[in-house]
Amino acid sequence: MEKGSVIDARYVAEKEEQGLVARALTVDYGEGPVLGPLDLDLPAKGIYTVLGPSGSGKSTLLRAAAGLLTGFGGSLSYSGRSMGRAKAAGADIRVGLVPQNYGLLPWQTAIANIRTALKISRPEEDRAQREANSLRWLELMGLSGLERRYPRALSGGQQQRVAIARAFAIRPDLLLLDEPFSALDAVTREGLQRLLMESWRQQPSTMLFVTHDVEEAILLGRKIVMLTASAGHPILIDNEMVFSLADEDKRDHDAFHEQTRYIRRIMREGRGSK
Amino acid sequence: MKAEKKTGQNSINGKPKGSLGAMLLRLLSVFVVLHILWGLIAALLKRDMLPSPLVVYRALFKLDGGEMLLNIGTSMGRVLAGIALALIIGLLLGLLMGRSPRWNKLLDPVVYLTYPIPKIALLPVAMLFLGLGEASKIVMIALILVFQVIISVRDGVKAIPANTYDVLTSLGAGRMAKFTQITLPGALSSILSTIRISLGTAFSVLFFTEIYGTEHGMGYFIMDAWLRLDYPGMYAGILLFSGVGFLLFVLVDLFEHRFMKWRA
Repeated sequence: MEKGSVIDARYVAEKEEQGLVARALTVDYGEGPVLGPLDLDLPAKGIYTVLGPSGSGKSTLLRAAAGLLTGFGGSLSYSGRSMGRAKAAGADIRVGLVPQNYGLLPWQTAIANIRTALKISRPEEDRAQREANSLRWLELMGLSGLERRYPRALSGGQQQRVAIARAFAIRPDLLLLDEPFSALDAVTREGLQRLLMESWRQQPSTMLFVTHDVEEAILLGRKIVMLTASAGHPILIDNEMVFSLADEDKRDHDAFHEQTRYIRRIMREGRGSK
Repeated sequence: MKAEKKTGQNSINGKPKGSLGAMLLRLLSVFVVLHILWGLIAALLKRDMLPSPLVVYRALFKLDGGEMLLNIGTSMGRVLAGIALALIIGLLLGLLMGRSPRWNKLLDPVVYLTYPIPKIALLPVAMLFLGLGEASKIVMIALILVFQVIISVRDGVKAIPANTYDVLTSLGAGRMAKFTQITLPGALSSILSTIRISLGTAFSVLFFTEIYGTEHGMGYFIMDAWLRLDYPGMYAGILLFSGVGFLLFVLVDLFEHRFMKWRA
């Protein structure tokens, strides 16, 4: 009996560390495959940047992981729990989604947007807890004093920070970001990249960050998942060298430049061999 | 509407209070000009059928307060009941049609076919089936409003971009949460503008239905004064009726101001 439970516990722990696993994942909207077939093993609590040209299915992969696609082929699981299909999402896997358009409800203030997300994903917490949690994350994002503003009255960067605060506030298993910084100016983007990394270190989760910006992919990811335009297997690139550097040193370090050259070459060759 | 657009420009400059004052001033000046016109025409005509504003206002203040309150209360009760009925049915069907393509396919031809029927022509039918009492009055109002409500709610719901639901869906939100957090607030502005339009229509229909089978109500009062050739009383009734309508209009505006702050 006891022996069994020990094995069970070990089995569960192993599954926990499995993170996001895709097996022969294909998505088809009816006009040929948009994504896959795709096999992926992304261990838990890592930062994975998903890089690829438009049309490579980056956003589709994210939508599948967010449980927004009603039908796909193959399987997708997180920590051994099957996910994505129909209403399964959110059942026991908490997903923090930061869409490209920030996805804030325009009729709710910054804090109300976070409160609403918490009410849905953490119904067991009481009001005071949710309020405190919302305020804490808004403060961490440097938005103190703007809690009662409607999204309309916030800048793009501020709206994005509210969306990130919301995603972190629910303490997600899986954090999904879809080109979150692509519409922002360079200075705002760098600030937010740093803020994102700091927040992740405070509260690590399995993070999937979709981007079309090679440098951003290298600056943020521990591993880089490269998707190619012609449906094929993704290339997984180890980025530990850059990831282990301090944030402020990354841009100037040789490893960063080398990685940039390397990835650009793969992208060129990927196109060339097609 | 024109006034609204102008004040909108002012509030962008960050002076919402000044623009409110300016709007009140504009309303007041229109009110005064209309009365001057009325006085002039009355003075030119010199006929019983159009008494001067002074005479009418004197008649207005001589009205029995208790009786008028009963008339206003009765009319308000009918209008509000009719609007409420139309809103309940219209919201239900409109939301259903907006959210579900299948229901929309099923109900759209029904709405399309019945919308152009001049519903007021169904008044005799309503009287035949429901009698001359309250039921036929309320149902008539509801019947005329419900189609506008259905259509505008449906279109309001459809106008909400599909990706608005993404974040809540990924959190595993249920139907109810999505409805209260997204569908309802998203469609609220079109619901409110329907109510605004509906109010005017509802009052017109109310007037018709108060011609028969009742001894109370603003419509009854006005027609009764007309029959008694009490023209100052009749005009006083019209003024009062308009005033009540105006107040309801302002109420909808206040409601909109409160719940549409996010769009301002």
